[in-house]
Amino acid sequence: MAAPDTPAGGRTSPVPERRPAAIVSHLDIIYRVVGGKRSNTSAIGDDEGESIFRNLIGRGKTVATVQSVHAVKDVSFVAYHGESVGIIGRNGSGKSTLLRAVAGLLPPTNGEVFLAGTPALLGVNAVLMSALSGERNIYIGGQALGLTKAQVKERFEEIVAFSGIGDAVYRPMSTYSSGMAARLRFAISTAAVPDVLMIDEALSTGDAEFRKRSGEKVDEIREKASTVFLVSHSNSTVRDLCDRVLWMHHGRLIADGPTEAILTAYEGWDPKKHPAGPPGIG
Amino acid sequence: MTAGPEGLPQTPPALSAEEAAALAKRHGLPSLGGRPPFGDYVGSLWGQRSFIWTLSTAQTVARNSSDRLGMLWTVLNPLLLIGSYYLVFGLLVPTTKGTTNFIAFLAIGVVIFGYMASSITRGSKSIVNNIGLVRALRFPRAVLPVAETLTQVVTVLPAIAVLMVVVIVTGEPVRWHWLLLPVALAMQTAILGGMVLIAARLVNISRDMTNLIPVAIRVLRYVSGVFFSIEAYAARFDPFVGDVLMIQPFALPIALVRQCLLEEAPIQWIQWAAGLGWAVVLPAFGLWFFWRDEAKYGRA
Ligand SMILES: Nc1ncnc2c1ncn2[C@@H]1O[C@H](COP(=O)(O)OP(=O)(O)O)[C@@H](O)[C@H]1O
Ligand SMILES: [Mg+2]
Repeated sequence: MAAPDTPAGGRTSPVPERRPAAIVSHLDIIYRVVGGKRSNTSAIGDDEGESIFRNLIGRGKTVATVQSVHAVKDVSFVAYHGESVGIIGRNGSGKSTLLRAVAGLLPPTNGEVFLAGTPALLGVNAVLMSALSGERNIYIGGQALGLTKAQVKERFEEIVAFSGIGDAVYRPMSTYSSGMAARLRFAISTAAVPDVLMIDEALSTGDAEFRKRSGEKVDEIREKASTVFLVSHSNSTVRDLCDRVLWMHHGRLIADGPTEAILTAYEGWDPKKHPAGPPGIG
Repeated sequence: MTAGPEGLPQTPPALSAEEAAALAKRHGLPSLGGRPPFGDYVGSLWGQRSFIWTLSTAQTVARNSSDRLGMLWTVLNPLLLIGSYYLVFGLLVPTTKGTTNFIAFLAIGVVIFGYMASSITRGSKSIVNNIGLVRALRFPRAVLPVAETLTQVVTVLPAIAVLMVVVIVTGEPVRWHWLLLPVALAMQTAILGGMVLIAARLVNISRDMTNLIPVAIRVLRYVSGVFFSIEAYAARFDPFVGDVLMIQPFALPIALVRQCLLEEAPIQWIQWAAGLGWAVVLPAFGLWFFWRDEAKYGRA
């Protein structure tokens, strides 16, 4: 849904007063990865002797090498109410990690995050409970977002209608296609108008019609003075929905500014010629 | 950060940590690194009780739908367990000393201890098994262990029904003491809630803990009077050791349920007082202990 008529520099913020919604200060995220295969599924549940034995043997095989992945390095920015912020960068540049940390779902290794209100994070991998029906997931997600059971009940039809998955809502989520699951997650996350909505590549799976509707929903949420963060591989989605873009590269924030200017530079960058990053930045 | 190339707008300069904190304070933005005050945390947990119930029923449904026989297992399982323990401890290696109705005595031990074992095994993983939920949504994390504790209550009820049948069939008379059974089970559930909260934090700190829990449960099974009467053996120990063995929170619920259902086990109010003590102290401590790491659940 490329919009050729979008003026350069993105939209103007509909909110006149600049109230910060998220303040990220010198954020570092370091994942600690324990090397080797871990036996954590079969260990428990039955408490018969063999399983302990199996685990003890299994443990002998794993060499506990602890590696660390510095996924986000010294990132600072301030996002405001009513702003819609795109996060771009190559695979593994730390976009998802940054988003999770800003949502308060991943504790910072260093630095600090301040956030106004409750965030909702919508990721491709944000499984709620895949063994359960969409219906139950709507109740779980809605209530976790702060709705009462009655409110979820009241909005149930609307959520299902928005997701467009129809009767599949009564089937386990494990039977959904990734597009269906993404649509349902989006519908759940936006049912409550979160203070900060974070979307991690969740829109790209839907069809054109759903992308249009979700774009409208994002606008609606921004108008209610919430803040939207969006990670997307589709530059046109970012162009369409965001007025500001953060460019992540190897865990660093290398550019932060109006959508059009940043995206132009991003699209003009040839990673093959300049693998270390675009010339002149970072 | 250096200036961008031509055409790229200047990235706004990063605020210093102090400036960021001051800006946040001016606009009333809380830091995500902290945890809420304990009192607020308890309050928010209470506010989430409907969510807890939703989660718990969802878990029950998910588990029962994965087996073909579903709910039937919740009845079959305790029966099979009681039968196999009776084979070993009633017939092959009799430990019936000090008991008259050994089958009912054993059935109570097996069902009540089984309730503890499965609560702690499942509950300890309530955070790590729901990592998707933890990483997608913000809610007081104690919701998960508490919901798991509730799920276990629902799951144990059919086993309790089996137990009652065994007690009646083995000729125990109906007495007013039976009315104390819900009290004993409620105390046990509160005790378990506390233990589950503690275990869930420990497993979140180190997944290796999941390997130790089955070992601990195995040891506890042998020292908690599941298939023999601690009282009958306590005489062999130092009186202090004997008391500790009887009053520890795994043995006590079994003893209390036996006092409810077996004529041969007289009510010992001192033990009920101890049970009440555990039922107050353990959940309170467990919640506090769990809350200490509130900002750390879901860490990669
Ligand atoms: N759970 C994890 N454990 C360890 N390393 C991780 C984990 N998730 C991501 N990483 C690493 O962190 C870096 C950033 O990943 P991510 O934030 O997912 O990037 P993006 O979303 O931009 O593709 C990558 O090097 C990735 O391998
Ligand atoms: Mg990603």
